[in-house]
Amino acid sequence: MLEREVIIKNETGLHARPAGRFVKESKNYVSDIKLINGSKEINAKSIMSVMTLGARKGQMIKIQASGDDEEKAVKDLAHFLEIELPLLEKSKE
Amino acid sequence: MFGILKNKKVILKAPLSGELVRIDDVPDEAFALKMIGDGIAIKPDTPFLLSPVNGEVIQKFSTNHALGIRTKEGLEILLHMGIDTVDLKGLGFEPLISEGERVSVGQRLLKIDWDIIADKAPSIISPIVITNMEIVEKMEILKEEYVKINQDLLAITIKK
Repeated sequence: MLEREVIIKNETGLHARPAGRFVKESKNYVSDIKLINGSKEINAKSIMSVMTLGARKGQMIKIQASGDDEEKAVKDLAHFLEIELPLLEKSKE
Repeated sequence: MFGILKNKKVILKAPLSGELVRIDDVPDEAFALKMIGDGIAIKPDTPFLLSPVNGEVIQKFSTNHALGIRTKEGLEILLHMGIDTVDLKGLGFEPLISEGERVSVGQRLLKIDWDIIADKAPSIISPIVITNMEIVEKMEILKEEYVKINQDLLAITIKK
Protein backbone atom coordinates (compact mmCIF):
# COMPACT_ATOMS: atom_id res chain seq x y z
CA MET A 1 0.00 0.00 0.00
CA LEU A 2 1.34 3.39 -0.98
CA GLU A 3 0.21 6.82 -0.01
CA ARG A 4 0.91 10.31 -1.24
CA GLU A 5 -0.32 13.72 -0.22
CA VAL A 6 -1.52 16.18 -2.82
CA ILE A 7 -2.85 19.69 -2.69
CA ILE A 8 -5.96 20.49 -4.67
CA LYS A 9 -5.05 23.29 -6.99
CA ASN A 10 -8.05 23.98 -9.18
CA GLU A 11 -10.32 26.86 -8.26
CA THR A 12 -13.55 25.00 -7.75
CA GLY A 13 -12.09 21.87 -6.23
CA LEU A 14 -13.29 18.41 -7.27
CA HIS A 15 -16.74 19.23 -8.63
CA ALA A 16 -18.49 17.20 -11.33
CA ARG A 17 -16.21 17.76 -14.31
CA PRO A 18 -12.82 17.30 -12.59
CA ALA A 19 -14.25 14.39 -10.57
CA GLY A 20 -15.31 12.76 -13.84
CA ARG A 21 -11.88 13.26 -15.37
CA PHE A 22 -10.08 12.00 -12.28
CA VAL A 23 -12.22 8.85 -12.00
CA LYS A 24 -11.63 8.12 -15.69
CA GLU A 25 -7.87 8.19 -14.95
CA SER A 26 -8.12 6.15 -11.78
CA LYS A 27 -9.93 3.36 -13.62
CA ASN A 28 -6.77 2.79 -15.67
CA TYR A 29 -5.19 1.07 -12.67
CA VAL A 30 -6.00 -2.34 -11.22
CA SER A 31 -5.10 -1.30 -7.68
CA ASP A 32 -7.72 -0.29 -5.16
CA ILE A 33 -7.49 3.46 -4.92
CA LYS A 34 -8.73 5.66 -2.13
CA LEU A 35 -8.85 9.38 -1.58
CA ILE A 36 -8.66 10.59 2.00
CA ASN A 37 -9.73 14.02 3.18
CA GLY A 38 -9.33 14.26 6.95
CA SER A 39 -11.43 11.45 8.38
CA LYS A 40 -13.32 10.88 5.12
CA GLU A 41 -12.08 7.96 3.06
CA ILE A 42 -13.65 7.18 -0.31
CA ASN A 43 -13.29 4.93 -3.34
CA ALA A 44 -11.52 6.95 -6.03
CA LYS A 45 -13.18 4.96 -8.82
CA SER A 46 -16.68 6.14 -7.91
CA ILE A 47 -17.71 9.53 -9.28
CA MET A 48 -20.32 10.21 -6.64
CA SER A 49 -17.86 9.25 -3.88
CA VAL A 50 -15.16 11.57 -5.24
CA MET A 51 -17.69 14.39 -5.29
CA THR A 52 -18.80 13.67 -1.74
CA LEU A 53 -15.22 14.14 -0.61
CA GLY A 54 -15.85 17.85 -0.91
CA ALA A 55 -12.23 18.56 -1.78
CA ARG A 56 -11.62 22.27 -2.21
CA LYS A 57 -8.79 24.39 -3.50
CA GLY A 58 -5.89 24.52 -1.08
CA GLN A 59 -6.90 21.38 0.80
CA MET A 60 -4.41 18.58 1.25
CA ILE A 61 -5.76 15.14 0.54
CA LYS A 62 -4.12 11.73 0.36
CA ILE A 63 -4.10 9.27 -2.51
CA GLN A 64 -3.76 5.68 -1.37
CA ALA A 65 -3.27 2.73 -3.71
CA SER A 66 -3.09 -1.01 -2.98
CA GLY A 67 -2.30 -3.47 -5.71
CA ASP A 68 0.04 -4.55 -8.45
CA ASP A 69 0.38 -1.12 -10.01
CA GLU A 70 0.17 0.91 -6.80
CA GLU A 71 3.43 2.73 -7.41
CA LYS A 72 2.46 3.92 -10.87
CA ALA A 73 -1.09 4.68 -9.73
CA VAL A 74 -0.04 6.95 -6.88
CA LYS A 75 2.59 8.71 -8.98
CA ASP A 76 0.37 9.25 -12.02
CA LEU A 77 -2.75 10.23 -10.12
CA ALA A 78 -0.87 12.67 -7.89
CA HIS A 79 0.54 14.26 -11.03
CA PHE A 80 -2.89 14.32 -12.61
CA LEU A 81 -4.46 16.03 -9.60
CA GLU A 82 -1.74 18.57 -9.02
CA ILE A 83 -0.61 19.44 -12.52
CA GLU A 84 -2.89 18.22 -15.31
CA LEU A 85 -6.30 18.83 -13.78
CA PRO A 86 -5.77 22.52 -12.94
CA LEU A 87 -4.56 23.07 -16.53
CA LEU A 88 -7.55 21.26 -18.01
CA GLU A 89 -9.91 23.25 -15.85
CA LYS A 90 -8.16 26.53 -16.61
CA SER A 91 -8.57 26.03 -20.32
CA LYS A 92 -12.33 26.13 -19.76
CA GLU A 93 -12.22 29.76 -18.62
CA MET B 1 -31.42 -20.01 -7.31
CA PHE B 2 -32.52 -20.63 -10.88
CA GLY B 3 -32.38 -17.00 -12.00
CA ILE B 4 -36.11 -16.58 -11.77
CA LEU B 5 -35.59 -13.43 -9.74
CA LYS B 6 -36.55 -10.53 -11.96
CA ASN B 7 -34.11 -7.66 -12.44
CA LYS B 8 -34.96 -4.65 -10.31
CA LYS B 9 -36.24 -1.73 -12.32
CA VAL B 10 -36.14 1.92 -11.30
CA ILE B 11 -38.14 4.60 -13.03
CA LEU B 12 -36.83 8.14 -12.94
CA LYS B 13 -39.54 10.76 -13.26
CA ALA B 14 -38.74 14.06 -14.97
CA PRO B 15 -37.38 16.43 -12.31
CA LEU B 16 -37.97 19.47 -14.53
CA SER B 17 -40.07 20.28 -17.59
CA GLY B 18 -38.23 21.12 -20.75
CA GLU B 19 -36.75 20.23 -24.07
CA LEU B 20 -34.76 17.00 -23.96
CA VAL B 21 -31.09 17.06 -24.96
CA ARG B 22 -29.10 13.89 -25.57
CA ILE B 23 -26.18 13.47 -23.23
CA ASP B 24 -23.75 13.48 -26.20
CA ASP B 25 -25.03 16.94 -27.07
CA VAL B 26 -24.43 18.50 -23.66
CA PRO B 27 -22.02 21.45 -24.06
CA ASP B 28 -19.50 20.06 -21.58
CA GLU B 29 -16.97 17.43 -22.53
CA ALA B 30 -17.02 15.56 -19.26
CA PHE B 31 -20.77 15.00 -19.55
CA ALA B 32 -20.89 14.54 -23.34
CA LEU B 33 -18.18 11.88 -23.24
CA LYS B 34 -20.05 10.13 -20.43
CA MET B 35 -17.11 10.52 -18.04
CA ILE B 36 -19.55 11.37 -15.28
CA GLY B 37 -22.21 8.85 -16.22
CA ASP B 38 -25.00 8.19 -18.67
CA GLY B 39 -28.48 9.64 -18.80
CA ILE B 40 -30.27 12.55 -20.40
CA ALA B 41 -30.28 16.33 -20.17
CA ILE B 42 -33.10 18.85 -20.00
CA LYS B 43 -33.22 22.46 -21.11
CA PRO B 44 -35.53 23.51 -18.28
CA ASP B 45 -38.50 25.83 -18.27
CA THR B 46 -39.74 25.17 -14.73
CA PRO B 47 -38.20 26.73 -11.61
CA PHE B 48 -38.35 23.84 -9.16
CA LEU B 49 -36.11 20.79 -9.27
CA LEU B 50 -38.18 17.80 -8.15
CA SER B 51 -36.83 14.49 -6.94
CA PRO B 52 -36.97 11.93 -9.78
CA VAL B 53 -37.01 9.02 -7.32
CA ASN B 54 -37.48 8.02 -3.70
CA GLY B 55 -34.06 8.12 -2.11
CA GLU B 56 -31.48 9.78 0.05
CA VAL B 57 -29.62 13.01 -0.74
CA ILE B 58 -26.05 11.75 -0.54
CA GLN B 59 -24.43 14.86 -1.92
CA LYS B 60 -25.43 18.47 -1.85
CA PHE B 61 -22.79 20.82 -3.13
CA SER B 62 -22.27 23.95 -1.01
CA THR B 63 -22.81 25.95 -4.19
CA ASN B 64 -26.27 24.31 -4.54
CA HIS B 65 -25.90 23.78 -8.28
CA ALA B 66 -25.98 19.98 -8.12
CA LEU B 67 -27.37 17.14 -6.01
CA GLY B 68 -26.64 13.45 -5.69
CA ILE B 69 -29.41 11.03 -4.77
CA ARG B 70 -29.14 7.31 -4.02
CA THR B 71 -32.11 4.96 -4.31
CA LYS B 72 -32.66 1.87 -2.17
CA GLU B 73 -31.54 -0.24 -5.15
CA GLY B 74 -28.17 1.50 -4.94
CA LEU B 75 -28.59 3.65 -8.04
CA GLU B 76 -26.69 6.94 -7.75
CA ILE B 77 -28.12 9.87 -9.66
CA LEU B 78 -26.47 13.23 -10.23
CA LEU B 79 -28.78 16.16 -10.93
CA HIS B 80 -26.59 18.93 -12.31
CA MET B 81 -28.23 22.28 -12.91
CA GLY B 82 -26.74 24.05 -15.92
CA ILE B 83 -23.14 23.90 -17.12
CA ASP B 84 -20.22 25.38 -15.16
CA THR B 85 -22.72 26.63 -12.63
CA VAL B 86 -20.32 25.78 -9.80
CA ASP B 87 -18.73 29.14 -10.70
CA LEU B 88 -21.88 31.00 -9.68
CA LYS B 89 -21.05 30.14 -6.08
CA GLY B 90 -24.70 29.64 -5.19
CA LEU B 91 -26.20 32.62 -7.04
CA GLY B 92 -29.57 31.70 -8.51
CA PHE B 93 -30.00 28.54 -6.44
CA GLU B 94 -32.08 28.11 -3.31
CA PRO B 95 -31.84 24.70 -1.61
CA LEU B 96 -35.01 23.26 -0.11
CA ILE B 97 -33.46 20.16 1.44
CA SER B 98 -30.26 19.18 3.25
CA GLU B 99 -27.63 16.55 2.70
CA GLY B 100 -28.58 13.26 4.32
CA GLU B 101 -32.30 13.87 3.99
CA ARG B 102 -34.64 11.19 2.64
CA VAL B 103 -36.73 12.49 -0.23
CA SER B 104 -39.81 11.27 -2.09
CA VAL B 105 -40.40 11.29 -5.80
CA GLY B 106 -41.85 14.64 -6.82
CA GLN B 107 -40.57 16.44 -3.73
CA ARG B 108 -39.15 19.92 -4.33
CA LEU B 109 -35.37 19.92 -3.87
CA LEU B 110 -34.17 23.22 -5.25
CA LYS B 111 -35.54 26.51 -6.51
CA ILE B 112 -33.67 27.89 -9.50
CA ASP B 113 -33.79 31.30 -11.15
CA TRP B 114 -33.05 30.24 -14.72
CA ASP B 115 -32.82 33.87 -15.90
CA ILE B 116 -29.81 34.42 -13.67
CA ILE B 117 -28.27 31.14 -14.74
CA ALA B 118 -28.85 31.90 -18.43
CA ASP B 119 -27.22 35.27 -17.94
CA LYS B 120 -24.18 34.19 -15.95
CA ALA B 121 -23.45 30.57 -16.94
CA PRO B 122 -22.56 29.05 -20.34
CA SER B 123 -25.75 26.99 -20.48
CA ILE B 124 -28.92 26.08 -18.62
CA ILE B 125 -28.87 22.58 -20.07
CA SER B 126 -29.06 20.30 -17.03
CA PRO B 127 -27.72 16.74 -17.18
CA ILE B 128 -29.38 13.99 -15.13
CA VAL B 129 -26.95 11.10 -15.02
CA ILE B 130 -26.45 7.75 -13.35
CA THR B 131 -22.93 7.87 -11.92
CA ASN B 132 -22.65 4.15 -11.20
CA MET B 133 -23.52 2.66 -14.57
CA GLU B 134 -21.59 -0.48 -13.62
CA ILE B 135 -24.69 -1.72 -11.76
CA VAL B 136 -26.99 -0.96 -14.68
CA GLU B 137 -28.03 -3.64 -17.12
CA LYS B 138 -30.10 -1.38 -19.36
CA MET B 139 -31.15 2.24 -19.54
CA GLU B 140 -34.15 3.31 -21.60
CA ILE B 141 -35.08 6.89 -22.41
CA LEU B 142 -38.86 6.97 -22.39
CA LYS B 143 -39.56 10.40 -23.83
CA GLU B 144 -38.50 12.28 -26.91
CA GLU B 145 -38.12 15.98 -27.60
CA TYR B 146 -39.97 17.33 -24.58
CA VAL B 147 -40.84 16.20 -21.07
CA LYS B 148 -43.14 17.53 -18.37
CA ILE B 149 -42.36 17.24 -14.67
CA ASN B 150 -43.19 13.87 -13.12
CA GLN B 151 -43.60 12.08 -16.44
CA ASP B 152 -41.68 8.80 -16.67
CA LEU B 153 -38.34 9.78 -18.18
CA LEU B 154 -35.80 6.97 -17.70
CA ALA B 155 -36.27 3.27 -17.02
CA ILE B 156 -33.22 1.70 -15.43
CA THR B 157 -32.84 -2.06 -15.17
CA ILE B 158 -30.38 -3.05 -12.44
CA LYS B 159 -27.99 -5.97 -12.95
CA LYS B 160 -28.80 -9.00 -10.88
